[in-house]
Amino acid sequence: MQATFMGERGSGLGIRHVDLDPVSRVAGALSFHAEIDHNGRVNDAHALSTLFRGYEVILKDRDARDAVFISSRACGVCGGAHATAAAMACEMAFGVAPPPMAIAARNLMSAIENLYDHPLQLFLRAGPDYSEPVVREATPELWRRAEGTSAPGQAIHGFKLISDIMTALTRETGELYLEALLMSRFAREAYVLIGGKYPHPETMVPGGVSSTIDTSDLNLILLRIVKFPDYAQRVVAIWNDIVDFFLEADPGYGEAGTVPMNFIDLGQWDDPLAYDAKYENCAAWGERRFATPGVIVNGSLTTTRLPEIDSPVEEFVDHSFYEEWPGDNHPAHKQTIPRPSEAKLSGKYSWSTAPRWHGHPMETGAYARLWTTAMANKLPHRRFVQPTGHSLLLAMPRAALPPNVLEWRMPQRWGTFERTRARAYALAHSTLVAYEHTLIALDLKRRGETKVSGESHMSNRFKVPKGPRTGVGFWGSGRGYLSHHMSIEHGVIQNYQILGPSTWTMSPRDRLGTLGVCEQAVTATPLLSGGPQTAYLDILRTIRSFDPCMACAAH
Amino acid sequence: MSFRSSGSFGAGPGPEFIQTLSEVHMFWLSGMSCDGCTVSMTGASAPSMEQLVGGTLPLLPAVRLHHPMLAEHSGEAFMEPFKQAMAGTLNAPYIVVLEGSVPDDQALAPNGGCYAALGVGAFPIRSQTGQSDRMTDWLKALAPRAAACIAIGTCATYGGIPAAAGNITGSMGLMDFLGAGYRSAAGIPVINVPGCAPIGDNFTEVVSAVLSALQNVQPLPEFDDLGRPLWMFGETVHRHCPKAGYYEEGVFSEAPGDNQCLVEIGCWGPVVQCNIVERGAINHLGGCMVAGGPCIGCTMPGFPDKYSPFYKTPPGSFVSGSISKVYGGGIRRLRRMSMKSGNTVATTWDNAHEVPSAWARAVGHKTPADRAMGFFYKKLQYHGSADLGKLGRKTPLPLTRDILRQDGLDFERPVPVLSEAIKSREEI
Repeated sequence: MQATFMGERGSGLGIRHVDLDPVSRVAGALSFHAEIDHNGRVNDAHALSTLFRGYEVILKDRDARDAVFISSRACGVCGGAHATAAAMACEMAFGVAPPPMAIAARNLMSAIENLYDHPLQLFLRAGPDYSEPVVREATPELWRRAEGTSAPGQAIHGFKLISDIMTALTRETGELYLEALLMSRFAREAYVLIGGKYPHPETMVPGGVSSTIDTSDLNLILLRIVKFPDYAQRVVAIWNDIVDFFLEADPGYGEAGTVPMNFIDLGQWDDPLAYDAKYENCAAWGERRFATPGVIVNGSLTTTRLPEIDSPVEEFVDHSFYEEWPGDNHPAHKQTIPRPSEAKLSGKYSWSTAPRWHGHPMETGAYARLWTTAMANKLPHRRFVQPTGHSLLLAMPRAALPPNVLEWRMPQRWGTFERTRARAYALAHSTLVAYEHTLIALDLKRRGETKVSGESHMSNRFKVPKGPRTGVGFWGSGRGYLSHHMSIEHGVIQNYQILGPSTWTMSPRDRLGTLGVCEQAVTATPLLSGGPQTAYLDILRTIRSFDPCMACAAH
Repeated sequence: MSFRSSGSFGAGPGPEFIQTLSEVHMFWLSGMSCDGCTVSMTGASAPSMEQLVGGTLPLLPAVRLHHPMLAEHSGEAFMEPFKQAMAGTLNAPYIVVLEGSVPDDQALAPNGGCYAALGVGAFPIRSQTGQSDRMTDWLKALAPRAAACIAIGTCATYGGIPAAAGNITGSMGLMDFLGAGYRSAAGIPVINVPGCAPIGDNFTEVVSAVLSALQNVQPLPEFDDLGRPLWMFGETVHRHCPKAGYYEEGVFSEAPGDNQCLVEIGCWGPVVQCNIVERGAINHLGGCMVAGGPCIGCTMPGFPDKYSPFYKTPPGSFVSGSISKVYGGGIRRLRRMSMKSGNTVATTWDNAHEVPSAWARAVGHKTPADRAMGFFYKKLQYHGSADLGKLGRKTPLPLTRDILRQDGLDFERPVPVLSEAIKSREEI
């Protein structure tokens, strides 16, 4: 890799400009530019979202009922999450609420979505960065050390040495790579039984779902979900071993990708008996979610109330290929005016916008959900998941492995490696949420509460309200924060805005020039790797620890 | 002994079984895409991605996949094979797969912005100002010498959602971009595997068919007039739909979640070409209507606008649905009559004049009209054949229950019925 990007800045002596175009093993199109000084430190970084499709432009002036199926297609990795957020925005705008069984079904689907998503991130996208061929080439001394280090989690994951785990992480041929593909298929099998298909489910409707959920469906789903408690225990043990190995081997890895502990999450998985699709009650039903919403600034929990999370959000386009719009910068009032133009690192360089919370760049992700849930300690339902204020206890039920309580502890320092470890715990978390909602669905079925769509359902008899209405869907995907904002009049969409998780993490600079979270994280990453193909491995590990989904980042 | 033909399949082990290709490269280009097709592909199992790239399928060359979401390397190392293919120095045939529609960004200033980029430095007009290369530049460069071009998903085939009314990107399908005159180096027009997202197996099955053809193992299978695999898209999805029987009987879902035909809550299945209810979404499970999801035409040209607004009854179903309600209503009543007798008739039950099921007390009783109808039904059924009705009447009643009762075993107690309602046959 050599410098070919001719940014406007002169390249001083010893300064290298590195183009990682494209960054592979991320979803969507990402190009990353790093400036490395003569000491070998990254002193500047730019994340370029290089794909724009126009979903918000397409949704404008369209029938409000099209929002669910169209916006789902914004992202093929987490389409189900988008469909759900859109259905919730419609519900708020139309004044309909889903019955408990529909909420349980949505929770079940979105938890299952994570059971396919997390393994693919951990073993197809990020995993190969820690595999034998990569580690051997980039850091031969670490490979030798791995060959002489026994794996503490052997009793659970079965690998004797750290190097055995690294071999199993090898792309295309490694045992863990192939197993992740298989596990992701089991999860998707469970999903399509009530979702119809994946990535873009066919059964999401405003006011509920249209799934025909019979006892066999729930049985077949349960039989797939019960493969995951053991798998999640193994995955957690594997990543604990890998992460601890690196952190002990070289303190430099502890610095990689470090950013302030600023997290934002909308929570996920509504209480089937609490969610009523009304904005005025959203603080209350938000706090009853199976993952608690919240904002953490510099390691302190600031709020768990949805309106206080959402209202201070602003999106800036000073460095994005869009024109400014009249009015404020809240996503609900933002307008999408695309202006494709030449990319200039000092000017506009990304199709992603720059979202900020009270001016802060914020991080979101499956792990942000662990942070807010653990810290808030407000979970109303604690059958399997128990927050403690500083950690999250995950009670894994017995399968082939004995029952075990996993504990994810909030780390002292937050960076590339802890991010990846937390994603492994997120798999265990989602497993328990999926299991819990299968049991809830079975319970509702036995109680005869089988209705899955609201009173004023979206059938041929339903009329979309004529007056001006607004709605917002607060939800989350495998990568965290997802909100859909809709305003309609005469049943036609006046404005539709999607704010996805990777818009937060892959953000370009904002109005004040503050770097986006991933840009910051890369500048904090020491370059510890060599090898002709792996010279920038540390940058890539940091980028991939965010699991960027560029289709969500810019739509 | 006689044979209908004396032909044989293949000439046995011989020179034509020696494979000519050991590997075929696959360049995966992403246009206006959501990566959903990639996600589908990773879910495929007939064959699976790992079988294709692992080269473990007999007779098929290994696929060297160059895919941004799955590749080992980033940046230049990732782009190197692309450049070799453009320069003609790859020394192996390659297939181009396009996911996502093609933006009209060739029409924008050549050194300015674009909607989909890939790599940097391969096209001088772009690198002069340090701009990323356009995906469309790569498409233009790679398509002519590709052994085959496969469009995966409805965006790449027909434009899909990015080509919906009102968008500014000018998006189109691969056929629109290359034109009807396009033939690959192997003489194949653009192959289209639509679906949003497509069934993963539909795609990998087509890939293995194309590889077989390039290997001269099999001829290229049949495609229809829009380049779709005929064996997948030759039928409407309604014909194999598990809810099609409801349409036949004129019974329609009124709300999402109802189990009947979904046409009135927005299903376009009767006029959409797709195989998802037969094949399932993944591993023969799911499929839109199987799970209660109305078909929104996502495999068709014109999706989404032609099928919008979703959830609204398609206008065409007003006539056909109304007809089906009339004649289907008749059919349904006749069937329920037969079914009632089907559930109350058994040789011993007939002879004992009872249905010995505690569940059936409410509905197991037969009226004189039922008996009369049963008599004539059997007459017709066994006419010209062995009369099993007559034979049944001679069958002696079993004595076991009398003996059990003499032994003091009496089960005539009320049965607590679980919450699930027992549906009478008239309701089904």
